[in-house]
Amino acid sequence: MYAMERQVSGLKRPSRRASKGLITVGVALVILLVASGLLAPSSLSQGAVLGMLPFASVLAVVGLGQMLVVQQGGIDLSVPGAVSLAIVIVSRIPNGDNALLVPAILLAFGFAAAAGLLNGFLVGRLGLNAIIATLGTNALLFAAVLGISGGSPTTTTRLLQSVAGGLSFGVPNSVFFAAAVAVVVILLVKKTVAGRRFEAIGANPVAARATGLRVRVHQMAAYVWGQMLYCIAGILLAGITAQPTAFQGNTYLIPAVAVVVLGGTSLLGGRGFPLATVVAAVFLSQLDQFNLAVGVPYAVRTLVQAAALAVGVALYTIDWSRVRARFGSSTRSTKPKPTPSPA
Amino acid sequence: MMIRKRILSLTVALGLSAVALSACSSGAPGADAPVPTGTVAGAPSWCGPKQITLGLLDGFGGNSWRLITTAAGADEVKKCPSVTKYEYADGQGDTQKSISDIQGMVAKGVNALVVFPDAGEAMLPALRSAYQAGVVTVPYRVNPGGKDGVDYDAWIGADFSQDGTNWANWIEKNLPDGGNILFMSGPKGNSQGEDEYNAMTGILDPAKYKFVGETPFEPTNWDPALSQQVLTAAIAKNPKIDVIVSDFGPSLLGALPEFQKSGRSIPALVTSDGNSLGCFYEQNKAANPDFKMMTVATGNDNVRLAVQYAVAKATGGQLPSTTKFEAPIFEDSVSSTPNPVECKSDLPGDIFLSAEMPAADQAALLKK
Repeated sequence: MYAMERQVSGLKRPSRRASKGLITVGVALVILLVASGLLAPSSLSQGAVLGMLPFASVLAVVGLGQMLVVQQGGIDLSVPGAVSLAIVIVSRIPNGDNALLVPAILLAFGFAAAAGLLNGFLVGRLGLNAIIATLGTNALLFAAVLGISGGSPTTTTRLLQSVAGGLSFGVPNSVFFAAAVAVVVILLVKKTVAGRRFEAIGANPVAARATGLRVRVHQMAAYVWGQMLYCIAGILLAGITAQPTAFQGNTYLIPAVAVVVLGGTSLLGGRGFPLATVVAAVFLSQLDQFNLAVGVPYAVRTLVQAAALAVGVALYTIDWSRVRARFGSSTRSTKPKPTPSPA
Repeated sequence: MMIRKRILSLTVALGLSAVALSACSSGAPGADAPVPTGTVAGAPSWCGPKQITLGLLDGFGGNSWRLITTAAGADEVKKCPSVTKYEYADGQGDTQKSISDIQGMVAKGVNALVVFPDAGEAMLPALRSAYQAGVVTVPYRVNPGGKDGVDYDAWIGADFSQDGTNWANWIEKNLPDGGNILFMSGPKGNSQGEDEYNAMTGILDPAKYKFVGETPFEPTNWDPALSQQVLTAAIAKNPKIDVIVSDFGPSLLGALPEFQKSGRSIPALVTSDGNSLGCFYEQNKAANPDFKMMTVATGNDNVRLAVQYAVAKATGGQLPSTTKFEAPIFEDSVSSTPNPVECKSDLPGDIFLSAEMPAADQAALLKK
C-alpha cells in the first residue's frame, strides 16, 4: 500500500492558488448563505450567528486536530472521549473554584498528551490499525471520564464561562481561540521545516523513510497534536455550555471527520488543508442552523448532515474523469479497460 | 421544606389509618403465601412485621440525579427495621448486566426488588421471572411495559402528565392573555415529553396559546449543546417567545443567555428544578424583567414511593394509597408558593433542593 503514491505533487514552487477543497467548500458556504438569506433569513440574524459561531469554533478546532491525524493516513476515533475528558476535568476538578481552573486546564493537557502518546505508540510504533487502536483509547478515556466525574461534570466555573462563552468586540471569544489555533496550525505545517517534513511523510511514508526522515516520530506526533486540539475544543465547549454532560464529546465523532473530508484532505493522507477545514466547520454549523430555522423535522436534519458528508466524500474520492470517460466511452468503440481503484 | 412537612403529615395520617386497616391488607392474586400483617412500633405504616431482604437495582447509576436517588432509596429502606438486609446493584447502562443483576438477586434469595428499568421493555422478561419466583417486584419511573399483578407487583411510574398540568395551570394564571410557548424535551418521540404535551394542550386554549417550533416538542436529547442551538434558532425565528417549557431545566443554563445576546429579556420559564437553575435565576432576574420561573420537583423521591410499596408488600405493611408518583410544584418566583426560587450558592450546582434528602447530605454524596 505504501508503494502507491498518495498525492501527486510537482516539483514546482507551491502555487498561491486556493486549493480545490477551499474553493469547493467556500462556494458551498456562499451558496448556503445565499439560501439562508432567501429561505430562512432568521438564521442570519445577529443572534443566530452569534449562537452558531461558538459551536463552529469548537468544531473547527476538533476538525484541525483530526486533520493532522488524517494527514498521516490515520484516523482518530478517540475524539468523543478526548473532548468529554477535557470537559470533565476542567469542570469537576475546580468544582466552581476559579483558582483551581488553571491547574485543571494543565491537568487536562497532561491527560491529552498521555492519550496522544498512547494512540501514537499503538499506531505508529506497534503498527496497529488506527480505527481499532483509537477506539480502544476512546474507551479508556471514557473510563477516566466516569472515574473522575461519576457521570456528571457539574457546572463550569464562572471564569471559564466568561472566557470561553463571552464576547469581545461583539464577537464570541471562542472565535478568537479557534482563529489562533488555525493560524498556529497553518504556520507550523506550512511554514516550518518540521511541518513540511510532516506533510511529506503523510504523502509518501516510504519515500520519506528512504530520504532519512523519522516517519514513526511524525506519525506519533500527529496523534499527540490531535489530542491537544481536542483538549482545547473540550475546554471551550465546557465554557460555552455552562453545565455540560459527561458525554458531550459524543456528537463530534462524525462531524470531526466530515469537516476534514469536506475541506479536501484525503483520507489516504498527504497534504492538509487547514483553512478549508475551518470553512467546512462554519459550513456544517450554519447548515445545522439553517435546518433549524427552516423548521425541518429532526429526522430530516440528521439526514441532511449525513448527505453533506456523503457528498463531500464523493466529491474528492470518486475519480470523476473516469466516470466521465466511462459514460462517454459507451459511444466509442475502444472501451478503456477498468483498473482497480485504490479507493 | 413544605414537601417534607407534607410527606410527614401524610405518613402520620397513614399510620393512624393503618391501625384500623391492618387486618385487611390487600394482597394481589399471584403473590406467594400470605404474609403476617401489622405494623412495627416506631416505624412507618408501610413497614410490616415480616423480616425481609431488599434489593435496589439501578439500570444506570452514573450521574448526580441517580446518586441522590439511590441514596434516597437506601434512606427510605432504613426507616423500616424489618428490612434486615439491603443490597444495591448498578447495571452501568448495560442491559445484559441489569438483567443478570436481577437474576443474581433472585438466586440469592431476596424477598423484594425495586428496579429502575432503564432499558424499558427489554427488562420485562427478567422482571416477570423474578415475580413468578415469588419475589415482590416493583419497577419504578421508566415504564417496562407489562401489567401490574401479571408481570410484576406494581409499576410505580412518574405521572408526567401531572407536570404538564402544573405547567399549563401556571401559564394560564400568569399569562392570561395568551402567548407563544416553546416546549423543549429530550430525544424525539420520548413518552415523557409526549405525555406532558398532551396534558398541556388539554388545558391551554389553542386560540390564545400557540406552540412555536416542532410539536409535540423540540427534540434536544436533554443535551445542553443541542438545547443551545435549538434555542438560538428559535429566538432568531420567533420575535416573540413568552414562555419556555422544558422538562429538564438545568440543561438550559448555557442556552438562556442567548436571549440577552439578541437584546431580549429571558422570558418566563416553567421547568423542573435544580440548584444551578435556582442560582441562575437569582443572578439574572434583575437584568431580565420578563424572567419568571416555576419549577416542579425533579422526582428523586419517586424511589421512596417504590420502596414503600415493595416493603409494604413483602413485610405485610400498609400499601401506599397510590402507585403514581406525582411530582409536586416546587418553586414559583411569582407567588412564592409553595417556595420562592431557592439557590444554595455554596453547594454544588447539580443537587436538587426539591428532594427530601437535605441539601448538605446531597452535596456530601457528590463530593465522594
